[in-house]
Amino acid sequence: MAKKLSGPQMVIANRLDDGRVVFLDRAGGWSVTPANAAVADDEDAIEALANVAAASVAANKVLSVEVIEATTDENGAPWPAHIKFAMQAKGPSVRADLGYQVALNWEN
Amino acid sequence: MYAYDQYDHALVNARVGEFRDQVNRRLSGELTEEEFRPLRLMNGLYLQLHAYMLRVAIPYGTLSANQMRRLAHIARTYDKGYGHFTTRQNVQFNWPKLVDTPDILQELADVEMHAIQTSGNCIRNVTTDQFAGAAGDEVADPRPYAELLRQWSTFHPEFSFLPRKFKIAITAAKEDRAAVKWHDIGLILKQNDAGETGFEVIVGGGMGRTPVIGKTIRDFLPEADLLSYMEAILRVYNEQGRRDNKYKARIKILVEDLGAEEYARQTEAEWQAIRNNPIDVPAEEAARIRAFFAPPRLEVLSDDVAEVDDLARQNFLFAAWVRNNTGKHKVPGHVHVTISLKPHGGIPGDATDAQMDLVADLADQYSQGEIRVSHAQNLILPHVAKRDLPALWKTLDAAGLGAANQGLLTDIIACPGLDYCALANARSIPIAQAITSRFDDMKRLMDIGPLKIKISGCINACGHHHAGHIGILGVDRRGEENYQLLLGGSGAEDASKAAILGPGFGEEGIVDAVEKVVAVYLGEREDGEEFLATYRRLGPAPFKEAVYGAR
Amino acid sequence: MALVNLTGKETGTWVHIGTETTIEDGAVVAAPLAQLVDADESFFKAVGAVGAVLATDADWRAVAPLANKLSFVVINFPSFSDGRGFSLAVRLRKDLGFRGEIRATGHTIPDQAMHLLRSGFDSVETPDAREEAFKAAVKRYQVFYQSDFTGRTSLAHARHARAEERKAS
Repeated sequence: MAKKLSGPQMVIANRLDDGRVVFLDRAGGWSVTPANAAVADDEDAIEALANVAAASVAANKVLSVEVIEATTDENGAPWPAHIKFAMQAKGPSVRADLGYQVALNWEN
Repeated sequence: MYAYDQYDHALVNARVGEFRDQVNRRLSGELTEEEFRPLRLMNGLYLQLHAYMLRVAIPYGTLSANQMRRLAHIARTYDKGYGHFTTRQNVQFNWPKLVDTPDILQELADVEMHAIQTSGNCIRNVTTDQFAGAAGDEVADPRPYAELLRQWSTFHPEFSFLPRKFKIAITAAKEDRAAVKWHDIGLILKQNDAGETGFEVIVGGGMGRTPVIGKTIRDFLPEADLLSYMEAILRVYNEQGRRDNKYKARIKILVEDLGAEEYARQTEAEWQAIRNNPIDVPAEEAARIRAFFAPPRLEVLSDDVAEVDDLARQNFLFAAWVRNNTGKHKVPGHVHVTISLKPHGGIPGDATDAQMDLVADLADQYSQGEIRVSHAQNLILPHVAKRDLPALWKTLDAAGLGAANQGLLTDIIACPGLDYCALANARSIPIAQAITSRFDDMKRLMDIGPLKIKISGCINACGHHHAGHIGILGVDRRGEENYQLLLGGSGAEDASKAAILGPGFGEEGIVDAVEKVVAVYLGEREDGEEFLATYRRLGPAPFKEAVYGAR
Repeated sequence: MALVNLTGKETGTWVHIGTETTIEDGAVVAAPLAQLVDADESFFKAVGAVGAVLATDADWRAVAPLANKLSFVVINFPSFSDGRGFSLAVRLRKDLGFRGEIRATGHTIPDQAMHLLRSGFDSVETPDAREEAFKAAVKRYQVFYQSDFTGRTSLAHARHARAEERKAS
């Protein structure tokens, strides 16, 4: 996580037990909904989020944690800026019938 | 087909128990992710973008109808109703839960399947010709040797923590359908002047970011010495392969550094030192394994079948399918049939649970209960009577499995790319879909003739773009997906590395560029000349001119 | 740290020494290979028994001149994924005919117990929390697809053992 980051940040990960993509939310838990993601704007806040995430990794709740650049979706809700993480948030672009893009398809 | 005995069963079942224990220890935190990762990888379990992914081994691409039904069942029960057949003759499930994977492995073990060593820095699933045992042009069936290698490499005490992954391929035919020169070890089964069976041994091939075509280190290795010779090659690699940089850790780098002659010398010296140890199997064991691959008893039939000719005259698509998707069998009146998993506009290599069940039923009905997977991501019914082709085709076509494009431009190999893969920089599947939609015209495709397009979504080259007649490599250019065009590669006996033609394109532009390249070929080809031959004759200049000239 | 005995052969106890250590007469000591290469005869006369500590990238040929002076060898794994340690043990058994104890130290994991045992290791040093998992792992597999250099022959040979015996008699 040494790479230089700019602008608002959010945290993405996969749940350990089922691999489901999750976002660190404002209550310090993990949400399957990117709209619930906590967004940090300054270095201290980003570090605080990273620390919460690291504790979750140590507690064997999630893995593959990334602090990523955040943008907003058409409703103004948090959304990953980079295509790779947007893909994670949505599900495969070639299977519009699967993934987060079908909200009810995967039980929380 | 090989059938497990009590020992094979015991080993695979012990492995399921071991993995169940490892999963529990990971969930409890006793194993860290750093420690668990290589263990789960050696059981085929990755973490991809959206979920875990389980890669199940289909040893040397051979499976029974019952095994295919079990794959369908797993897709339905533990996944989202589909599976993805890969360029290494395996199958991948994209959505399993970690907590379910021990149960999935048990379901597999019950039908003599596993996910052992389908990933990790170990010896991977051995691949071979998808037409093995059926093809008219083979010296002998290569699968008994592949099974021998499967057993020898499984849980190898010394070679399970290699510098990097290790892939072995075998071919026994004149036409190399297993891309042996692109593997860490490639084996070509042949007979010497004395009529003895043995192997030409090639080492140091590989794709990835440094594509290298393998080099022959032994012209003829007697078949009885196969395992001891493999052990010598692997020991040299395990000791000296680089471990400081994963991009320089494959055997191809060591072979380049030492030189093929020196690699051969060290291998030979080690082999001489160990060859009298009981590493190679007794002749009785070789015979026991070979017996499982005895050719099926097929009735000798006529190659002239009126029903086939009649339907072919009436139905162009059936005629095209017979021409492109069926091939010469050892037994007269029979063919091997390629079931294309490349419907135009579809996802290369994907099959639904219902399609898997159907293929299993058709294998029972028409192909001695046997199915193959090709490295081109298609399924094969290896032993079909020609007279059954009309009924078979009608059933396949009704299920969306009747595409007549085997070996043609739309028979595209594509890696999962950024739609699934955590390593990818760009999507591969949508490019394949756009190309197959643009060229959705069987008459046009057959006029173009044999042309292999291979697409990778990153430099790791799982889509074999280095070996494509037309290769496409997806890269990340400042956050945008960008696609490089390569021409002139081959994965066959005339193996060659494709070369980048020029600057990359966006999604739309790469499809246009492919069309321009094809247009140059059609304009320049001589009578009966295939795309690759035309490219080799002309070189890149006219293609470059057509693709970039107007920019 | 726990010591797990893989083979059931007697395991030794020794002190690890560095360049500055003074050695008591008759002590059982483990020393880095480089130090033993440089040691003179008086060193070997003074100590009771001596073993070499090898890194996984040690060249087995460098051990050869010392092999008959060594009572044991320690192979230290910097990471469990460094598979050179397995080949090194194989070399000691196969090429040097070394019969003394070979012990794994450093980072290994219980899931490698069989790999260690079958490559020629006798014992492994591991954190206490992993002792039971190591012991369980040794018992998990009963048959093997490969012959190894510890005297175990492959399943392929076992399947036809009777035929082999007949041939031999």
